[in-house]
Amino acid sequence: MLRVLLINDTDKPMAELCQALVDHGYDVLPPVATSRALSEAVKQQKPDIVIVDTESPSRDTLEQLALMHSTAPRPVVMFSHDADQHLISAAVGAGVTTYVVDGLAPERVAPILTVALARFAEESRLRQRLAVVESELSDRKLIDRAKGLLMDKRKMTEAEAYETLRTQSMKQGLKIAEIARQIIAMADLLN
Amino acid sequence: MNSTPPLSDSPAYPAPERSHLRIGYVALIDSAPLIAAGEMQFGRRHGLTLELCRQPSWAAIRDKLLSGELDAAQTLYGMVYGVQLGLGGPQADMAILMTLNRNGQAITVSNQLAEKLRAGQPLQAALGSLDRKPVFAQTFPTGTHAMWLNYWLAAHGVHPLADIDSVVIPPPQMPEALAQGELDGFCAGEPWHAVAQNNQSGKTVISTSQIWPDHPEKALACRREFAALYPNTTQALIRTMLESCQWLADNDNKLTLSAWLARPEYLNIAQDLILSRMGTENIEATQPATPPLLPVRFFDRRGANYPLPADGLWFLGQFHRWGLSRATDQWHDIVNQVCQTEHYAAAALQIGLDAAPPAASAVRFFDGKIWDGSDVIHYAESFAIRA
Repeated sequence: MLRVLLINDTDKPMAELCQALVDHGYDVLPPVATSRALSEAVKQQKPDIVIVDTESPSRDTLEQLALMHSTAPRPVVMFSHDADQHLISAAVGAGVTTYVVDGLAPERVAPILTVALARFAEESRLRQRLAVVESELSDRKLIDRAKGLLMDKRKMTEAEAYETLRTQSMKQGLKIAEIARQIIAMADLLN
Repeated sequence: MNSTPPLSDSPAYPAPERSHLRIGYVALIDSAPLIAAGEMQFGRRHGLTLELCRQPSWAAIRDKLLSGELDAAQTLYGMVYGVQLGLGGPQADMAILMTLNRNGQAITVSNQLAEKLRAGQPLQAALGSLDRKPVFAQTFPTGTHAMWLNYWLAAHGVHPLADIDSVVIPPPQMPEALAQGELDGFCAGEPWHAVAQNNQSGKTVISTSQIWPDHPEKALACRREFAALYPNTTQALIRTMLESCQWLADNDNKLTLSAWLARPEYLNIAQDLILSRMGTENIEATQPATPPLLPVRFFDRRGANYPLPADGLWFLGQFHRWGLSRATDQWHDIVNQVCQTEHYAAAALQIGLDAAPPAASAVRFFDGKIWDGSDVIHYAESFAIRA
């Protein structure tokens, strides 16, 4: 289960994200509100994802941890070559910055960003956003199942399985979740 | 008889492609050139309106420069090269338009440590007498303060990666953290050392001008693509900031500026504390036998603002020294591409300033090491204490 750390040191009601993320099945660590507590929390509780207000004065503390500790989360703009760039831009626009650990697949970050966005978007857009979350979460489940099938039947590693899905997705011009759906349907048929 | 053209407020510079620029800064004494440019509207003569955008962190400055939300910004000198190399974060081609200031930073330690140093105890022994690992704060992992702190500690035989914990906390919180015993010392910009001394939270033991006389500190930076796409705007911005820096060379103007900086929208601290760190007076160096202090320097006629490639090499060398990046034979290309010397020279000439790089000279650091800008890899690897 992904461990999410929220930093609550600005006017943005970051702590309100807590319940929403818990409801979506994430392991939300106790939020921190100071730079010193942040250093300790990252070193000892090893979050996979840190969500912080773009305007937080603690950002540079995270930068230090990212560079000096290989296990600490790094700024998510590193994924700028990925398809989730649009979502990341939207998150930056909403003033939400994300740091994630190395090796965490972007599609696992996306639903969390979406929840954060939904939380901070204006009231009228809230429901629409949450619908997106639901669909992305179900997409994620499909992708996880397809990866499991590839790992089981083809003896692939998780990374290879994801890469296979991604390559097929680019080749066929379809969403990764759609490729996953095809693989699952095919597996059902062959069983 | 009317053949002389009328005197114009706007000299005939090439028109900037962009007239409204968003410029990021972090509130510090070092941001004086930006704040002066904003308050005095120095950009107007050059066809520019500068919208100053105060930022809460260096990471925010970096991200907004890269996303295009900011057109240019005050940055920590080393940080520009950190982004150029993609250290710990996104990689992007960066440009340094000019040096905004030299000197003006310091290292402050707890009263307890300062007392031991004053009594003549070596730093290593004084730190060893604490019953836990010492904690020092700085401002950004690839910034200037991290490098000044590392250099100072290592010169005293203290390994900055092994013997202490180096943390980053926002500078306005440093004096209080020092008073609370959460820190044993910090390296940051002013006025935070003035604040710490004034609160009796700690004592300033060395000014960074004593570590490296006239070291580069803050740079005016933008994405390289911005400088390439908007050459006239880039030069107009350099002219504006050079005039602002020149304006700050006057003591009366420093007084005016310190009053602005004291206001709530900037630093929100007493004007006399700010003013005390804009010259050399009132800085008490408690360590004996340190070289003389130099004031924060925003301008001089010897090329203080020149975007010097050799300054960049020093930072790349120190990144290598501390294991943040590997040595390559591309360092010279990197610094020459980052430093916008052509834009700088054109802009300086346009307003009648010297456009030539400062005369090359070897600098003696406080530990006796000589840096002459040559053979940087050998220089970086010549230190006994390194990663």
